[in-house]
Amino acid sequence: MHRRSILLFGYGNHGKFVAKGLQEDGFLLKIIESNHNNYLQAKDDGFMDVEHMDVTNDRLLEVLNPQNYEKLVCVMEDEHLNVFLTLSLRSLFTESYILSISDSIHTTKKLKMAGANKVIDLYEVSANKIHNILKRPVATKLLESFVSGRDGIGFKEMIIPKNSFLEGKTTDDVDFSPYGVLLIGMIDEALGHSFVFITAGINHELNYGDTIVCIGPEDKLNAFEDEIKKRESQV
Amino acid sequence: MKQLFLSFALKLRKSKRYKETKAYVRELLNGTTNPYKKYLDIFIIFLIVTSVFILVYEVTNPVPIWLDYYDFYFVSFVFFVEYILRLWVHNDLSEHIVEEYRDAQFLHKEFKLWPVLKNGMKEKLNYMITPAAIVDLLAIFPAYRPLRVLRIFVLFRVLKLLRYAKSINQFVEVITNKRFELLTLLFLLLFIVTTAGIAIYVLEERINPEITSLFDALYWSLVTITTVGYGDIAPVTDAGRAISMLTIISGIGMISFATSVIVSAFSERLSEIKESRIIEQVNKSRSFLIVCGYGQMAKMFFRQSKDAMENYVILDKDMKRVEQARKDGYKVVQEDASRFETLSKFNVEHANITILCLTASDVENIYITLNAKSISRKMKVIARVNDINIVSKFEYAGADHLLMPNQVVNTMISTAITQPTMYKAVHAILTGKSVARIDEIHVHDEHSMVGKSVKELDFKKNKLLFIGLQRKGEFIFNPPTAEIIQSYDVLLLMGRKISLEYFRNRHEGVN
Repeated sequence: MHRRSILLFGYGNHGKFVAKGLQEDGFLLKIIESNHNNYLQAKDDGFMDVEHMDVTNDRLLEVLNPQNYEKLVCVMEDEHLNVFLTLSLRSLFTESYILSISDSIHTTKKLKMAGANKVIDLYEVSANKIHNILKRPVATKLLESFVSGRDGIGFKEMIIPKNSFLEGKTTDDVDFSPYGVLLIGMIDEALGHSFVFITAGINHELNYGDTIVCIGPEDKLNAFEDEIKKRESQV
Repeated sequence: MKQLFLSFALKLRKSKRYKETKAYVRELLNGTTNPYKKYLDIFIIFLIVTSVFILVYEVTNPVPIWLDYYDFYFVSFVFFVEYILRLWVHNDLSEHIVEEYRDAQFLHKEFKLWPVLKNGMKEKLNYMITPAAIVDLLAIFPAYRPLRVLRIFVLFRVLKLLRYAKSINQFVEVITNKRFELLTLLFLLLFIVTTAGIAIYVLEERINPEITSLFDALYWSLVTITTVGYGDIAPVTDAGRAISMLTIISGIGMISFATSVIVSAFSERLSEIKESRIIEQVNKSRSFLIVCGYGQMAKMFFRQSKDAMENYVILDKDMKRVEQARKDGYKVVQEDASRFETLSKFNVEHANITILCLTASDVENIYITLNAKSISRKMKVIARVNDINIVSKFEYAGADHLLMPNQVVNTMISTAITQPTMYKAVHAILTGKSVARIDEIHVHDEHSMVGKSVKELDFKKNKLLFIGLQRKGEFIFNPPTAEIIQSYDVLLLMGRKISLEYFRNRHEGVN
């Protein structure tokens, strides 16, 4: 199976965490860091493919061949450097998918203008969370534990493989309960790239290549993922 | 005599009815919670207004005799009763006597009535010489017709209205704060008035027919220095005129000085007055939010909820940030939330208060959390934690919810990379931007859901996805369809806003 590869810029507070998570999930990872201390830290933490370089130099960036990576992630400690880097990457490689982190309201706008495909705003996300805690405390706590997979229950997305028994069936046809998982929503490739929630009330046909997102206990999710690869349902 | 007083006091102390009556009257006159206080206030205000109206009307028109009687006997009588009652509820004389008696018995010493009585009377006297009490007393004196001068006492009835005007109290408070400056000014004024008065008296008493006494001279001097200048008395000699010129100049200086003192006193206290109004206002609501620290996080929080927020107050100790918040149009008070006095100003007992500790410093957030929890366990605290390593400290301090911006974002990034579809779904649910959302329903005794099975409720038909329920702190994922809903369960549902609301409304209320 083709291993997905990520080019990670920055090994600071956020970079450290992201790198660890990606490594655990089996991603092919290359870390770029301009700060010498952080660079040494990354080496210490056991990452093999770490490079210390000046990210403001376009020639050096080109040598990295970012187009070979699935995603470019900019999480540099220095906010200004992060914006500059995003801009350089976008101007050099128009096709790449760039994800950046923002530490303030003003930076978010700049990063978007610089051409980042996705900006995660620290404050926006946190402020959202406060609202959620105030409005629905239990749901927020549970959802959080689902996302982090703490209590054994989590989300999982899976792509419907060719010749799966799900192929050709509609979302109403399939009874997911025997598998112990719940279908949250899907991306119907036939209808474009947007995510559709199951509760929207529309009956979708499941096809090869569609992505479905399920929630459930981890073992059940894994079992289900194996299950849908089969031609006929065993349950 | 002593025995008589003592037995009377003991009897009063024992009487439940006496105590209750006294407490009721006290609440009616001075408290805020008695529902009939409003009517009493209106009644008193009505009496005052009619009394003053009669005074003014009487100047040119004859009034019927019953109106005179009304003013003379009825209003005065009511005010007299009010005064006596206020004096009565001011302190408890009988309680003092009984306490002193018990102490004396305990120590086996002779019980002396006089010192206790003296102390109690002193307290009453202290009350009697407060401005409010003096006004009350003077307002009783009726407008005794034959002596016209006495009628002016009716104006004290107008002063009684001050009791109902809060802003006047603040005005007085502001002025008393500048007592030193104003007193200095007053002494200076007295000095100049006396000096100029004596000078003009000595210089012109023989020459000027208008000045016949020292009082005339002092009167002239005050009229001149305040730049009023009636002109009924004017100096006639060159020396006298020179003195008036000096007096006028010093008068202008003094008036501008006095004005500036009062204005500056107000501008100093203006924000404080505004702030106390904000706190007063927010204390009236049954549940509100206290946001500590106006940084980036708080800004973002408010930006996202400008229209929905009603009952909140921002606390920050930094003047710059307070100014910023004020400019942005939020209700802000410059106070240090980690101080006991600050948080105890709020209606801790009767309101549901949620405190958001959003300052950038972990130490401060912990301190605020501890402070809030030490005042009342009822206050809910949501604290921001920057350093993940000290989470346990916040939990120990009693924070109800923790907000870890760095961790939230880190998880977000990881998810966005590893499972982009799921990220989209979760992000949409969390931000409430999408049509679908995850919400919770707290089941109460009155809900019609209680006792029904999951199958009966048929979530799918309502276009809802039933994810699970939380019972006694434990989460049950996707319970079997035979599961019966119980009171105090929390249902976790996903669906569109309208489906959720429809479902919630349908099952609210009794079966």
